[in-house]
Amino acid sequence: MSMYQVKPVCGGDVKLDLPACMYKLPNVHAQQGNSCTAEHALQNGELDPAVKALEARQDEIMRKLYEMKAVVDGLAKTILTPDADLDLTVSSSLSSQSSTAFRGTTDLDTLLGKDLGALRDIVINANPAQPPLTLLVLHSLLCQRYRVLSTVHVHSSVSSVPPQLLSCLGPRHADSYARHLFQLGFTLIWKDVPKLQMKFSVQSMCPVEGEANVARFLFKLLTPYPSDPAQATLVDSWVDTAFFQLAEGGAKEQAAVLRAFNSALGRSPWLCGPEFSLADIACYCCILVRGSTSSAPANVQRWIKSCENLGHFGPAKLLLQ
Amino acid sequence: MTKEEVQGATEEEQQAQSKKALKKQQKEAEKAAKKAEKQAKLASEQQSTEEDDFAKDRYGVSAMVQSQQKVDRTLVRVQDLTPEKADQLIWVRARVHTSRAKGKQCFLVLRQQQFNVQALVAVGDRASKQMVKFAANITKESIVDVEASVRKVEQKIESCSQQDVELHIERIFIISQAEPRLPLQLEDAVRPDGEGEEEGRATVNQDTRLDNRVIDLRTTTSQAVFRLQSGVCQLFRDTLTKKGFVEIQTPKIISAASEGGANVFTVSYFKTSAYLAQSPQLYKQMCICADFDKVFCVGPVFRAEDSNTHRHLTEFVGLDIEMAFNYHYHEVIESITDTMVQIFKGLRDNFQTEIQTVNKQFPSQPFKFLEPTLRLEFTEAVAMLREAGVEMGDEDDLSTPNEKLLGRLVKEKYDTDFYVLDKYPLAVRPFYTMPDPNNPKYSNSYDMFMRGEEILSGAQRIHDAQLLTERATHHQIDLEKIKSYIDSFRFGAPPHGGGGIGLERVCMLYLGLHNVRQTSMFPRDPKRLTP
Repeated sequence: MSMYQVKPVCGGDVKLDLPACMYKLPNVHAQQGNSCTAEHALQNGELDPAVKALEARQDEIMRKLYEMKAVVDGLAKTILTPDADLDLTVSSSLSSQSSTAFRGTTDLDTLLGKDLGALRDIVINANPAQPPLTLLVLHSLLCQRYRVLSTVHVHSSVSSVPPQLLSCLGPRHADSYARHLFQLGFTLIWKDVPKLQMKFSVQSMCPVEGEANVARFLFKLLTPYPSDPAQATLVDSWVDTAFFQLAEGGAKEQAAVLRAFNSALGRSPWLCGPEFSLADIACYCCILVRGSTSSAPANVQRWIKSCENLGHFGPAKLLLQ
Repeated sequence: MTKEEVQGATEEEQQAQSKKALKKQQKEAEKAAKKAEKQAKLASEQQSTEEDDFAKDRYGVSAMVQSQQKVDRTLVRVQDLTPEKADQLIWVRARVHTSRAKGKQCFLVLRQQQFNVQALVAVGDRASKQMVKFAANITKESIVDVEASVRKVEQKIESCSQQDVELHIERIFIISQAEPRLPLQLEDAVRPDGEGEEEGRATVNQDTRLDNRVIDLRTTTSQAVFRLQSGVCQLFRDTLTKKGFVEIQTPKIISAASEGGANVFTVSYFKTSAYLAQSPQLYKQMCICADFDKVFCVGPVFRAEDSNTHRHLTEFVGLDIEMAFNYHYHEVIESITDTMVQIFKGLRDNFQTEIQTVNKQFPSQPFKFLEPTLRLEFTEAVAMLREAGVEMGDEDDLSTPNEKLLGRLVKEKYDTDFYVLDKYPLAVRPFYTMPDPNNPKYSNSYDMFMRGEEILSGAQRIHDAQLLTERATHHQIDLEKIKSYIDSFRFGAPPHGGGGIGLERVCMLYLGLHNVRQTSMFPRDPKRLTP
């Protein structure tokens, strides 16, 4: 009669405080098990699992090293040439290498939850009186990253909408007749809402309100937020500054913000250090809306040029024309 | 007796007589005075009756209008009674909605369709007591001709549609008298549900309304509903005509059942029997094959379904569309949804008063929609329902409760009451539906929903005779019976698709009503053939 195997109740490597007066013997059970499986493996010509694990670990280390190398390369590029004359075509074709393309392990399944067969549709209700430029920019970045089904609707609470708002998400995708071919839906609804609103999963998520918060949500789909909490807070605070002080504030407040920009940009090429971030997108869009680029201080002027060189802001500029 | 004596006597007598005479005279004078007084009184009475007579010309039951004469008189419409008309003397023909006598005056509410105005008869130099009495006794719903002067009012009259003016009646004539007992009171018929129960007031149930449809249709709510319905038809025709569609008329007596044989009415047709058309589909498709390119028709369709639900009728008005397309049946979906959106926009912009009127009795959320219309795919719908905890198979059709739930989910996320669900499983659609080229389990078919209820079912139709034969055999349909249908595709047919909408259902769902009988003027269901 054959016996069935039982998992060990406790691990074999439990450290026991044994009296020193006795001599040690190797663990009978552990050895037996090990030798058994080893023999078995050898018989089948398989690798020892320990070797396998070691190999995997080395692979992982190598992968991390390569990643780090890429990051450092990127950093070096940004530091050396933050306002390099990268023209639009270059930056978009080199998007995977350029420092401003967003990297990181962003998998929609882990970010947004398991795909149940329905298109993951991000619904944004925006008031046509205040087009959300930041979100349009993020949309075009999302399009470079994922297969995005973009649609624009007009809600019945709005009687008419200027034509440029209807085409603000670009031309219709050629495959738009088949929704299942897309990874992500981006549905923009022009609606009479007091505050911009985003709905994603009505079952498990409350609506997200305010352009800044929606921008944060969308940006996280592109690249993870800085893992350093201080850095993340910095990004957040610039985003708030952009929407509360730059976009809604008066002339005095605006001037103060520009001065703050100037000093921050004196220390680093982008607002939050060496990496282009959501803070730059939000602030640049808000400056675009206010149309106050000419009177800005030197560092800000340089930064505006750098932003323009990235080529991400086409959709926002198109709308403002 | 001496002469003197006699004389004296006579004198005395005379004296006495004169005394008597005096008395007599006095009496006579008194009499005369009394008479005079009486006469004066009589005269004054006479005068008053004369005044009565004078007012008598100002009211009464006029002779039945048999077109005796053509009176050249302009009648002002109640809806035109605005402050601009103040102090003018005008004629109005309207129904007596209510009347309320109060001492020397009588208040009437005069109604014309959905508009009404307050009118007043008061004892004065133009109206007598009798006239006020007459006005107070006019039965409700009688039709009257009224001459009156328009007066502005200090305080708005909340109970009437014309809130800024009232009429001071100078003449009033009954043109057609209503019987004093009405089968239902109009005030009861427009009372919002629920309110009546609280206050112990009567509401009118559906059957009483339908039995006395003529009176029920006079209510402001019914007036608004059917004006809106006419608007839907008008907008449907206008939009499609602008898109280059041709309106066609199709026969309603047909030889074979078009959509399965189960729910078809049989009528005797001379020596054989025939059927009432369940949909004009076959004829629409034949028109496409005859190169009409894009057609629509508005006409009655019949369904012998013995179901007594809030949304089934045995006869209703179908708005049917069929069109040839170039490469993808979404061209058809876009045409249909755009037509619907134009209808909704037209209603939103031009029928706001009617919508408000209906809302007073049947409150509902305003109808919301997106332009262009939201399109979801069936598999997505299944996924959404599963996420909400519904258990269903991939190829199961949506049950009515699931449709409602899906409608709520879609509304919550997209805030629209109108959307399209595309790519239904092939198994749940009729045999002539074109299968999906990429996945044989699904089909090029779609349903459209308003407030979570299906209003339109359509598809790309198979335009190839051979494939059609295959599909029909697969569905175990007797090929002989549909031979003429299949044959119409043998001589070259353009790819085409379409769908049909129920007019009553669209009106019901647009207004957020709960019974299709409210939007059918003379509804036909398994239990009702009259009126």
